Amino acid sequence: MPAIIRAAGLVRAFGDFRAVDGIDFEVQEGEVFGMLGPNGAGKTSTIRMISCVLPITAGELYVDGLDVRFHDREIKARLGVVSQEDSLDEDLSVAKNLAVYARYYGVPRAVGRARIAEGLALMQLDDRRDARIDELSGGMKRRLVLARALMNDPRLLVLDEPTTGLDPQARHLVWRKVRLLRERGVTILLSTHYMDEAEHLCDRLMIMDHGRQLAAGTPRALIEQHAGRDVLEVHPTEAQRPQVLAYLTSAIGAGGRIDEIEDVIYAFGTNDEQARRVATIVGDPYRVHFRRANLEDVFLTLTGRALVE
Amino acid sequence: MTTTTATRPPPPGPRTPVTGSTRRREWGVVPALGVAIPGRQSFTVWQRNCDVFLQLWKAEFIPPLLEPLIMFAALGLGLGTYVQLTGDVEYMEFLGPGVIAMFSMFAAVFEGLWGAYFRLDKHGTYEAILATPTRPEEITAGEILWAASRGAMNAAMILLVMLALTPVYGLVSSPLAILTVPVAFLAGVSFGALGQAYVSQARSVSQLTYFFSLLVMPMFWFSGGFFPLDEFPAWASTAAWFTPLYHAVELNRALVTGNIGWGDMEHLAWLVLVLPPLVWLALWTMRRRIVG
Repeated sequence: MPAIIRAAGLVRAFGDFRAVDGIDFEVQEGEVFGMLGPNGAGKTSTIRMISCVLPITAGELYVDGLDVRFHDREIKARLGVVSQEDSLDEDLSVAKNLAVYARYYGVPRAVGRARIAEGLALMQLDDRRDARIDELSGGMKRRLVLARALMNDPRLLVLDEPTTGLDPQARHLVWRKVRLLRERGVTILLSTHYMDEAEHLCDRLMIMDHGRQLAAGTPRALIEQHAGRDVLEVHPTEAQRPQVLAYLTSAIGAGGRIDEIEDVIYAFGTNDEQARRVATIVGDPYRVHFRRANLEDVFLTLTGRALVE
Repeated sequence: MTTTTATRPPPPGPRTPVTGSTRRREWGVVPALGVAIPGRQSFTVWQRNCDVFLQLWKAEFIPPLLEPLIMFAALGLGLGTYVQLTGDVEYMEFLGPGVIAMFSMFAAVFEGLWGAYFRLDKHGTYEAILATPTRPEEITAGEILWAASRGAMNAAMILLVMLALTPVYGLVSSPLAILTVPVAFLAGVSFGALGQAYVSQARSVSQLTYFFSLLVMPMFWFSGGFFPLDEFPAWASTAAWFTPLYHAVELNRALVTGNIGWGDMEHLAWLVLVLPPLVWLALWTMRRRIVG
């Protein structure tokens, strides 16, 4: 099956600064592909190049088989974009926002009306049809932007940090909507700096930092490959720190590794027994966690830094 | 026998794509111009502004009726009684054509400056439009057309006010006065284009005020709308000649009074010929602001 997005050696420079510094990836039809990385990793620039809003500096980028340099209109017609900022039209009502948007896509009026009704129902906004934008909560605005991105029945939905700034409840509702769309067969590219979002939603993802791709694969494969099965996370007091570090250094074999972020110690390649020993040193079971590794740990392993600072 | 045409081999020739060079233009940009030629999406952008306007039309229609009335009262009835013009022209009559041009300019400038700036920088309207099959040049073209439309609407409103006052003050003396509406549109395109070019460089709302104080207000006072420029030093009337408003005022005066001659074609020609460079400047600067 041909890839919906194919990037090779993709670069975007702003003066001397390379926001995207030579990345290669493919997004297949029907999958949810994630870009996980901290702010400044180059996620938004990549998304803006895909949506033909930012010209590429070098490399190749094909969307649905079309070169982004020459087919801006055709590509834009096939994409639905949810940008980081809501960018809703504050001067227009909820339904009118969708109607005006459908018009930019040249959607016939009758089709547009049906899609507006469908989109509002799907995003649970039916009862807000005539509301003004400033009457909506943050979560409602996000869902309205999602509904707006569906007005042209896109081949590919692009979500730039879809839940940044939302409270947990609104966030889970947006996730549910994204999963619903995936079940309907919509191909989705999403960027996020939340590892739980990436883990929940993405079939495959790439981890980015400083405009480069650090690793790519399914969430599970990435975790197994880079972080192992389990992680021992210790929050010692300053007095206990040397003792904990000394013990872990001696206990962990060649396959293990110790990282420190702020005042937290992360030990990879440990076992149950070692976790119990550390717990006796620290004395407080709530400050020692022997847990499953996650994408956060993958990022830590790859960069030595935390994903969200 | 009927299949011969279908099975005929393709004619020999270069195997380059038949689409030709225009297809290879990056996002439609014409190399010699540095911008794409705006297409019909410009009209969709125009429609968006029109929709917003129509939602608020009741509120939007009051000022263009009220402001010229206030000006006629203050300057025409107040100040005008002390003004003696050469010939037997009443000051109120002299003022009328200028008021149409000046308040059309205000409408176009407000829309093309503050309205456009907020859509570009504060509300993310441009960004949202750009995600659809719309090019930056089409946003600019739509905005310019809209600014010009607002100018034309204001001209029509003021003309109606003047017609209503005509039985008393003799403000309109020629049916040609109706042509002040297209004149306002024409001048509005240049104001809209100047506005887009300026907005593309603005980094804060307060910077917009400079456009107003340094360009719009001098035009307002010194374009021959309030007093004839004949008595002014030559440099002042020369400076006025380089502004769109001066030519709109002169053209309006000829149309409203009916004293129109071939000499007035100079003003029309000026208003038309200035458009290509101004519109290009707007397209080019705004494209650079949006696309980088």
